[in-house]
Amino acid sequence: MNRLIRSSALTWALGYLLLGLAALVAFAVPLWYAWNVSIFSGREEILRDDAQRLTEVFAHDGVAGLTAHIKARVAMQIAAERTLLLTDSAYRPLAGNLAAWPRQLPDTAGVHAVMVDDLAGQHTHTLLVRSTLPGGYHLLVGRDLSLFLPLERRFAWGLTAAVTFLFVVGVVGAILMRRELLVQVEGIRQTVAAIMQGDLRHRLPTRGSGDELDTLSRTLNGMLDHIEHLIAGISNVSNSIAHDLRTPLAELRSRLEELTLTRPSPAETFAEIEAAVADVDRVMRIFTALLRLAEIDSGARRSGFVRVDAAAVAAEVVEFYEPAAEQKGVVFSFQTSGEAAVAGDPVLLAQAVSNLIDNSLKSVSERGAISVRVGARADGSVEIAVSDDGPGIPDADKPKAAERFFRGDASRGTPGVGLGLSIVDAVAKLHGGVLHLLDNHPGLIARMVLPAGPLRVPA
Amino acid sequence: MKILIVEDNERVARFVMRGLRESGHTVQHAGDGRDGLFLASSEPHDVIIMDRMLPGNVDGLAIIEALRKSGNRTPILILSALNDVDERIRGLRSGGDDYLTKPFAFGELLARVDALGRRSVEQGAERTLQVGDLRMDLLSRRVTRGARAITLQPREFKLLEYLMRHADQVVTRTMLLEAVWDYNFDPQTNVVDVHISKLRAKLEHDSEQPLVRTVRNAGYMMSAHE
Repeated sequence: MNRLIRSSALTWALGYLLLGLAALVAFAVPLWYAWNVSIFSGREEILRDDAQRLTEVFAHDGVAGLTAHIKARVAMQIAAERTLLLTDSAYRPLAGNLAAWPRQLPDTAGVHAVMVDDLAGQHTHTLLVRSTLPGGYHLLVGRDLSLFLPLERRFAWGLTAAVTFLFVVGVVGAILMRRELLVQVEGIRQTVAAIMQGDLRHRLPTRGSGDELDTLSRTLNGMLDHIEHLIAGISNVSNSIAHDLRTPLAELRSRLEELTLTRPSPAETFAEIEAAVADVDRVMRIFTALLRLAEIDSGARRSGFVRVDAAAVAAEVVEFYEPAAEQKGVVFSFQTSGEAAVAGDPVLLAQAVSNLIDNSLKSVSERGAISVRVGARADGSVEIAVSDDGPGIPDADKPKAAERFFRGDASRGTPGVGLGLSIVDAVAKLHGGVLHLLDNHPGLIARMVLPAGPLRVPA
Repeated sequence: MKILIVEDNERVARFVMRGLRESGHTVQHAGDGRDGLFLASSEPHDVIIMDRMLPGNVDGLAIIEALRKSGNRTPILILSALNDVDERIRGLRSGGDDYLTKPFAFGELLARVDALGRRSVEQGAERTLQVGDLRMDLLSRRVTRGARAITLQPREFKLLEYLMRHADQVVTRTMLLEAVWDYNFDPQTNVVDVHISKLRAKLEHDSEQPLVRTVRNAGYMMSAHE
């Protein structure tokens, strides 16, 4: 029962039912009042007029005349249309359609409603006007109130029928509505319960009806898609962290354990300790890169976006890497078609370009070529492309290349933690753009496409 | 220099104190925020090293703010395990002068402490810098070694200026990245080393005395002395 009352659909339906009943009462009560007051008092008025007329007949024709008049009227009248009685001063009937003077009638002149017995012995509720005529004669003019009973009864029946109809429709409707709502809500509840158990693949049932619940379900499904994607990302990252931190930590551990077991010469010991410190540094570098990724992924850096000239940022990074490229004998070129404005974070963009150049620099052979191009495209978006003639990335690996800790076979031997392209990808996404990895025949083209910057961002 | 270190981790504190003493500094240690604030405001120091997370949920930044409000202008190096760009900015805004993320190499800490201590000594607007026979005119942007004029790219000029301003001090690769290129990320290739060797080639011709020395496990030092 408690659950029944708590059901919101039922509460609402019952509320509306009560409101309907209240409206009906509000309609019936004034009607009843108007009926009683106007019909009743109107009738009273007619009776008084009638009594007045009979009094005039008495004054004109005397008691014999009135008696004859009353008898004539009673003979003409349809039964119970009018109650008339004329008595002498001792209340003995002279004429009329009542058997005797009603006992319950109060001893005062005026209007009274009492039960009287008519000539046929019928016990009827009658409205009577009592008047006393000169000579001690008493006159009663009345009307049978039960004449309106069928009408009143019909009205009461109608009202009752309306109430019953309203009640039945309301209750049945409420129960149906509640059942319908419960079925849908139960579907949602079961799905959500399954999701809370840990299975994120469940989706809320939608019926394509486009009603409120359906819209809500579809919005929630969209949210679940996003959450599932994020969770998958997190578990992917956790697995990668577990793997890629374990490797250097395992190396570190075996290095230190071997030292305590073999106790080599001091010179050798110190060399090993230095290598151990380098291992720790490697772990720390992975940590720093991961934290940076988390920072980028959280989107918090977006609040610090300013208007940035991507060409200028790239030019600085190119200048930064120029000596390193020169040292390796790499042909390093930079092309730009003027300012390429985006809304962004200059430091992150610099880091992304730096990572791309760094990757290329590691992969190309001596006397290879790296070229950096920045330009605005026709639709206003900005393209930053770093291409090289190194081994490139096999087509099968391209979709995975930007995943965290992914390292292609070609890069296994080179230094790095496998997060460089992940950071570039995350930076591109943070800026609302994408990172494409394409074939340069031979080599790799890494192309970041950033959407046109909203130019209202402060410079 | 007289240095105060506010750090609750005994091991880190001992390691830093020993290293600083070996480098010829006088070191005082406070294990919590209260002692740190007391020592910092009762005695003058050349540099304060402030950990961020102190016992009793005290943030080192609160102590720095308290010190700055009381008019204390001692250079402060913030130590923190929080390596967020926002945290770094918050640290510098609260009145810290430099920010170093844990864990750190001691060489990095020493170089930064030296740089901070030097900053508190000389705060002038020099017109020329000189290391041995190397002269840099900051106004005309001319660099000469003895009688020989040296042509530098703008970035090389900035790099050399930073090295000369910190002559006889170790500067780390991270410090150079931050000060000369304004990059606070770690390029995996040894790009800074290549820039330095290119600069060296311009500064030090065959018979000339080397000016830029590589300090193992730390960075570089510009010095006219052997």
